[in-house]
Amino acid sequence: MLDALHEIETTGLAELDAAEDAAAVEAWRVAYLGSKGRLKAAMGGMKDVPPADKPAVGQRANEVKQRLEAAFAEKQGALGASGGAGAKGGRAIDVTEPGLIASGEVGRRHIITRVRDELVEVCARLGFDVATGPELEDDEHNFVKLNIPPEHPARDPIDNFYVDDPAKVAIPRMLRSQTSTVQIRVMEDAVKRGWGPPIKVISPGRVYRPDTVDATHSFMFHQLEGLYIDRGVSMVDLRTTLLQFARAYFGADAEIRLRPSYFPFTEPSAELDMKIRLGGPDSEPGWVELGGCGMVDPAVLEACGIDPEEWTGFAWGFGIERLVMGKYGIPDIRMLFENDVRFLKQL
Amino acid sequence: MNISLEWLNAHLAPGPDGALSPDQAEEALTHAGFPIEERLALPGGDVRMDVEITSNRGDCLSHIGLAREAAAATGRRLVMPGWSDPKAAGAIDDHLELVNETPELCPLFTARVIRNVKVGPSPDWLVRRLEAVGQRSINNVVDVTNFINFELGHPCHVFDLAKLAGRRLTIRCAEPGEKLTTLDGKARTLRGDELVVADDERATSLAGVIGGADSEVSQTTTDVVLEMATWDPVTVRTAARAHKVRTDASYRFERGVSPLEIDYAATRAAALICELTGGTLCQGALSEGAPDPEPIVVTMRPARCRQILGYDLPDAEMIALLRAIEVGVEHDDPSTLVCTIPAFRGDLTREIDLIEEICRLKGFSHIPTPEKFPLRVRAPQEEERAMRELARVLTGLGFSETVTFSFVSPKDAEAFVGEGLRVLGVDDERRGAEPTLRPSVLPSLLACRRKNQDAQAAAPGTVRLYETSAVFAETTDGRSAERPTLAMLLDTPGEGTKRTDDDLQAGVRLIRGTVEAIGRAMADVRGAADFEPCDPPTTAWRAGACARVRLVRAGDEPLHLGTIGLLSDKIQKAYDLEIPVVAAELDLAPLLAAFPPRSHVQPLPAFPPIERDLSLIVDEATRWGDVEALIAGAGLERLEAAAFVSVYRGKQLGEGKKSLSLRLRFRDPARTLRHEEVDPQVERAIDLAKTKLNATLRA
Repeated sequence: MLDALHEIETTGLAELDAAEDAAAVEAWRVAYLGSKGRLKAAMGGMKDVPPADKPAVGQRANEVKQRLEAAFAEKQGALGASGGAGAKGGRAIDVTEPGLIASGEVGRRHIITRVRDELVEVCARLGFDVATGPELEDDEHNFVKLNIPPEHPARDPIDNFYVDDPAKVAIPRMLRSQTSTVQIRVMEDAVKRGWGPPIKVISPGRVYRPDTVDATHSFMFHQLEGLYIDRGVSMVDLRTTLLQFARAYFGADAEIRLRPSYFPFTEPSAELDMKIRLGGPDSEPGWVELGGCGMVDPAVLEACGIDPEEWTGFAWGFGIERLVMGKYGIPDIRMLFENDVRFLKQL
Repeated sequence: MNISLEWLNAHLAPGPDGALSPDQAEEALTHAGFPIEERLALPGGDVRMDVEITSNRGDCLSHIGLAREAAAATGRRLVMPGWSDPKAAGAIDDHLELVNETPELCPLFTARVIRNVKVGPSPDWLVRRLEAVGQRSINNVVDVTNFINFELGHPCHVFDLAKLAGRRLTIRCAEPGEKLTTLDGKARTLRGDELVVADDERATSLAGVIGGADSEVSQTTTDVVLEMATWDPVTVRTAARAHKVRTDASYRFERGVSPLEIDYAATRAAALICELTGGTLCQGALSEGAPDPEPIVVTMRPARCRQILGYDLPDAEMIALLRAIEVGVEHDDPSTLVCTIPAFRGDLTREIDLIEEICRLKGFSHIPTPEKFPLRVRAPQEEERAMRELARVLTGLGFSETVTFSFVSPKDAEAFVGEGLRVLGVDDERRGAEPTLRPSVLPSLLACRRKNQDAQAAAPGTVRLYETSAVFAETTDGRSAERPTLAMLLDTPGEGTKRTDDDLQAGVRLIRGTVEAIGRAMADVRGAADFEPCDPPTTAWRAGACARVRLVRAGDEPLHLGTIGLLSDKIQKAYDLEIPVVAAELDLAPLLAAFPPRSHVQPLPAFPPIERDLSLIVDEATRWGDVEALIAGAGLERLEAAAFVSVYRGKQLGEGKKSLSLRLRFRDPARTLRHEEVDPQVERAIDLAKTKLNATLRA
């Protein structure tokens, strides 16, 4: 019995190896693993095995069966990937047949991109164009030109997703930790190609920081950042723009509050709070810490080749998830990235 | 940082309404840029406040620093600590020698010796102050060092003089491998890039970070050395991080302490130790370092300040605001203020820094917000419109949008890496099992599909997902490539989890139909997506069931878009999906660039068409595309369209055969056609099919 099993195993594997197309593989399956196949037949011999040997022989039979099945699955996978057979060893698929439109229901956009579009729309009314930039950045754009010098704690590899080792590469690549990188790219491009300043853009997008994940933190999230550079741009323009934005997006009774703060790339810098009805038009207004803002630091303008004596500007930014969670009563940021279709359809 | 309101008020002259209440203090500090994160009422009426301090304001890591801000904000006067200098006896040189080998990293180190101290418990007032900020009282000597740090923001350290070998302190770089047991009881091996304060035998403290256990003050200590110094911030930070120890001292030194502040704080600390321990101060202080820096002088143009602020603020008010934070202001020339920066404000080095101070002290609420303001009107951006149109098409076709993480596991990435590319990744300490930047959005959609299967969120056959996102890879010569893509994943339709060949074919037709709809919406209303059967671009796709997609528009070069098709059994198995899935992966940029779609306006036909259905029995290997091409190339007169109707397979057709049904539509733009005119055209089509495709006509 054991010899028979051994024989089935070795010849079976060899024959499978030799099979060149799906039909041959299917024929092999019928011959070895099918209901009238060799393995089934050999199992018929179990009744002649002495009871004492039965466990060992049974185990061996099982082992052979599993090995053949695994080899068969692998072979099928390999054929599927490398050409040869079409669908399931059966009929070929005709990809030239025309497309079919059929749907049982309509889908839903993700709430993050929908809120992103809402914000973009309001900013567009305030004269801001959307600008995009790479997510795979380098530390020149993520730090150096944003006035964050080499020894700044924000650049610690522990707190960033470096793709290259900063200890070994002069300008290491990294995932951007903030959308301010786009500001730099836009300013450089404006100067290089001569289309600006004036520059008035917003840059929404994904950013990455290795935060420990919990209900309010994720290692990937979305920011929206605005930049306006022109002659004579002042704190009055900053505060007016933010107030108009708040009213347009959150309702006519929205208020804003700026609190002094510190960011390397703006000066003066401020925290941006908004008094808004976050829970809907019927909810009580409350102060929400939304993000940061300030006048673009002259060092940042200079790093991009813009004369800070001639041009001044402001920038602001905030996280989109926080706004989404507040506005839609989502208790845990992780729900936003699980993409359970039942959750997606709730929003 | 924790502060005590009582302690803060001790440094503020009372205003007309007395000392600051908790609310007044919170408001004043918040508006000055120091928000209160938490307030805790303490027994005895004091209030502990946890103040958030930005990294540029090391000077405010102290009660004096915050009192100075509160004074400026409320118009009160700052009250500095008062003390009487102790009588000094005996020369310090007889007891201690000081060597500073690294003045560039230790700009100033001072040492004072106090003899015959009696180490014991601290007086109640000191215990109360420390407990109010959450510190435990240890003994009168150590408590003074803590107190001074909280009062003035100057970390200091005391050594037991008797435990210093050679009665000499040397500031030097650590030896690689040198051992030091620190006050927290940890035995540390130094790397060599740290600074240490050493006696003649060994390191006695990790400079600017933490003291050594060997020279710790104990109950039997009689003579102490008081260290007050300043250190290079980067060296301190590097050492603190390397040894995973963060102390109040390192935190403070990382933010920069001016050598010009040292003497005042050291004098205050020494006096307090003498007062509380009965010790005697030796005459003089040992002091080694770099030459004292000159005070920083910054000029500020009031006109520039007004330009940044955007509203009118008189020069006199600017001057008053700056003087309130102890900036010395001279204004001989009215166009320029010459400002001398106090030593504790190392963050003020440029004109814009002073403008920020004026803005901050004046308050942001003073900035006017006019209801009308000038605006340049911009044209809507086509790319934004295109993205929304894309979303409309896809949601209309039943796709829900996902937002998934840009990281996948190396194993999941593998099947999706295109030829000549390799994946990029981040340090796996940061991202654990999923450090790879995804080369395709499909593995994320597959994982998402699987999670929905596990949660039984939707019936098999009904889930349709899409996402637009960047994908990442690099060429083998190291050029990194990031491109935005549109990925779609679609269940094959069918009953339960059983799928027939027809179901798989229908799945492919559905994803193709989706891409065709996208082509019409984005590039050309007549259709712009072109499909060509192809070999699987990666092992993720099933052989014989995928097609290359191009964007084809008259007059333009075809553009590569991506791939559609069935995903391989290997993938279905890897994600343990109950049913096969079809997918599409398209480059987003050419799609967006094509928008808006070309339209073609023509008068609608005035005369009816004639339609003829044909069913051709052909070999299984004959594709619909072959029939379509044959008809298109046949030059049939007045043919308007040849449309696919259905495929039929059955025993009566024979093994390896299928029946393709199509509908030919003929029309004349100028008159109604007669059947006799169409018949020869249909005959011709049949003949061609018979000869070229070996077809027979199904009855």
